[in-house]
Amino acid sequence: MNKRFSLFKVLSIPLLGAVFLSATLFAAEEPAPGVKGMSDEEFTPTKEVLEVKYVQMDKPYHMDVESLKGSFNDAKPVNITLQKQDKAFPNGGGSVTSSEVKAVHDGITVYFQITWKDPTRNARTIAVQEFRDAVALMFPLGAVEITPAEHFSPRMGDREKPTNLWHWKADWEADLLVKGELEDVEVQYPNMHDDFNFNPYSAYYHRELITSVEVLSGGRAANNLLSQPGRGRTVEDLNAEGFGTLTTQDHQDVNGCSHYEDGVWTVIMYRSLITQDPHDVQLVPGGNTFFNMAIWNGGEQDRNGQKNISTQWHPATLEKVAWQ
Amino acid sequence: MTLVHNWHLGRRMEYPYFESRPKRQFAAVFNINRCIACQTCTMACKSAWTYNKGQEHMWWNNVETKPYGGYPQSWDIKTLKLIDNGENTWYTDEKDEKLSPYGVYEGDTIFEAAAKKNINQWAVGYIPEDKEWRSPNIGEDVAKSNKADEYSSLPEHSRWFFYIQRLCNHCTYPGCLAACPRKAIYKRKEDGIVLIDQKRCRGYRKCVEQCPYKKPMFRGLTRVSEKCIACYPRVEGRDPITKGRPMETRCMAACVGQIRLQGFLDDNPKNPVTWLIKHDKLALPLYPQFGTEPNIYYIPPRWAPRPYLRQMFGPGVDEAIDKFMVPSRERLAVMSLFRMAQAIIFEYKIEEGPKVFETMIHGKKFELYNDTVIGFGEDGQEILRTTIEEPIHIRDPKHYNSI
Repeated sequence: MNKRFSLFKVLSIPLLGAVFLSATLFAAEEPAPGVKGMSDEEFTPTKEVLEVKYVQMDKPYHMDVESLKGSFNDAKPVNITLQKQDKAFPNGGGSVTSSEVKAVHDGITVYFQITWKDPTRNARTIAVQEFRDAVALMFPLGAVEITPAEHFSPRMGDREKPTNLWHWKADWEADLLVKGELEDVEVQYPNMHDDFNFNPYSAYYHRELITSVEVLSGGRAANNLLSQPGRGRTVEDLNAEGFGTLTTQDHQDVNGCSHYEDGVWTVIMYRSLITQDPHDVQLVPGGNTFFNMAIWNGGEQDRNGQKNISTQWHPATLEKVAWQ
Repeated sequence: MTLVHNWHLGRRMEYPYFESRPKRQFAAVFNINRCIACQTCTMACKSAWTYNKGQEHMWWNNVETKPYGGYPQSWDIKTLKLIDNGENTWYTDEKDEKLSPYGVYEGDTIFEAAAKKNINQWAVGYIPEDKEWRSPNIGEDVAKSNKADEYSSLPEHSRWFFYIQRLCNHCTYPGCLAACPRKAIYKRKEDGIVLIDQKRCRGYRKCVEQCPYKKPMFRGLTRVSEKCIACYPRVEGRDPITKGRPMETRCMAACVGQIRLQGFLDDNPKNPVTWLIKHDKLALPLYPQFGTEPNIYYIPPRWAPRPYLRQMFGPGVDEAIDKFMVPSRERLAVMSLFRMAQAIIFEYKIEEGPKVFETMIHGKKFELYNDTVIGFGEDGQEILRTTIEEPIHIRDPKHYNSI
């Protein structure tokens, strides 16, 4: 009896320690600082499925919203509820509460049309206090199962669970329309004077100064896609694996067009169903995937985490190609 | 949020990242008493780094007049208002040499104010609009007058202004680094220089918003933000002039009034910058109450009203001004090193000389010794040698009328 008691005395402290340790490990699913934890509801996809209809279409000469409008007639719209981003610093958003998305494909290219209400059109980010209107679609990379048991965060993906994002920007659209395909500082400040403009000498005289722009523009010299002239597209192709990991892809595959009228943005993003890029989500007719959406209202200083998001994944199915 | 120790505040404070001090920290000492606002430093930086398209409004180094100037306009007033909680007090009764040399600050830092206000940001801040970045010389030489018809008096002038020379402080706990949601800003381990990764930046301007000193700046042409880079190629020693030795930055080297000394803050008490900041405490940080632990230090102007200076440089102002007015032998020697060389001085040595002058300044005895001061580089080689008194040459009689 005594022996057992003394054994218990010896083991009691480590036993207690083990109990506390396991209790702590069980409870401590602590998120990083500035990040709040998430509920089970967020890990459940929504019920409404976006059906990407198969339509036969003649690709218009000009890829713009007006020409493509007719192709979306048979597509069933899905309403997406949006709310402010309130989990990771910096929190923000909340001015856009819903959007509508339709999608079609013609066996080669897939088209997503998104519309939402925005009272202000913000298509320039040259002044320090101005931010752009933008919309992004996020797809999980590869085939996934999303349930509360199989956590896949609807917010920027997770470690080891990458996502592919298509980010349309209003100012990229405006950039395409100017000479050089990048709006220069003069469009914001038309009467500005600087060494490049106000000089009586020829461009040849100032050739070293003028050619220095390329080298001394940090973003341009570092091949930051945001700083490049001549991108030739309005949608950025990116990947993410959680908050703060967003990275532009080396190979850009998505493009888009847009239209703003009467306080409503209409944006169409299109991409080949299958691409050669292993970092892109591959969309297969007859298959299914998930998507999520975020919208930025530049008029409310929306950017980075300050955005309007949907807090659940939305399922999408692609209709099989009907061979005639 | 982790707890880090901020020796300016004399206490621990919350910061998003762990404490990780570089082996030697890029730092500088500016003597406000000698600045004439010639703006040579401003133009040296401008002509090297920010003369290009989209950078027209950028002044990584600027010299502004206090009290009415500021670039961007009213930056310090606005940020001080954001952290004001009615209890911004310094407790100076108990000081610790290493941990709290100025006492303890019991107000809110920019990080703590953000947590208290529940704004879900890393730090309080604001984005100055484009019109606030204009007119960097606004308020230059405009004096604050307490009485309209009084002459200037000593020690505090009733009509006063002074110049403050600012660049990025390459803080130990930068507000910009904490603010960036993508970690596009990093602090180098080898010299503590804070840089914005131009490839990683996406122009969110959280850094512009949350730097209390407003030194990251947005570039409209490239749609990303830029900031003072501490002329890091020179600091690394890659400028051919110094033949591999680390060299002071453009703004430091160009100073006409010889008010700036740049070096590395480290553990060596014979390092002039370390001695002035940590041992002599002649040089004080700018707005330490923001909580970022800035690494540019100032010798406060002796003629400005003390309450204003205490808000700007902390409670060490009175001691620092007393020390500057009647400098000790060693202090005078270290001050003589300012701008005597372009290469960074890592250590100094004083060779004693004869006493040449003696007087009373404000009731205290001042003795001038003509010591020789020697500055050494990183490799121990002598970089400069100077004396306290400037040597006097008497011209040959036949050159009396020459210019």
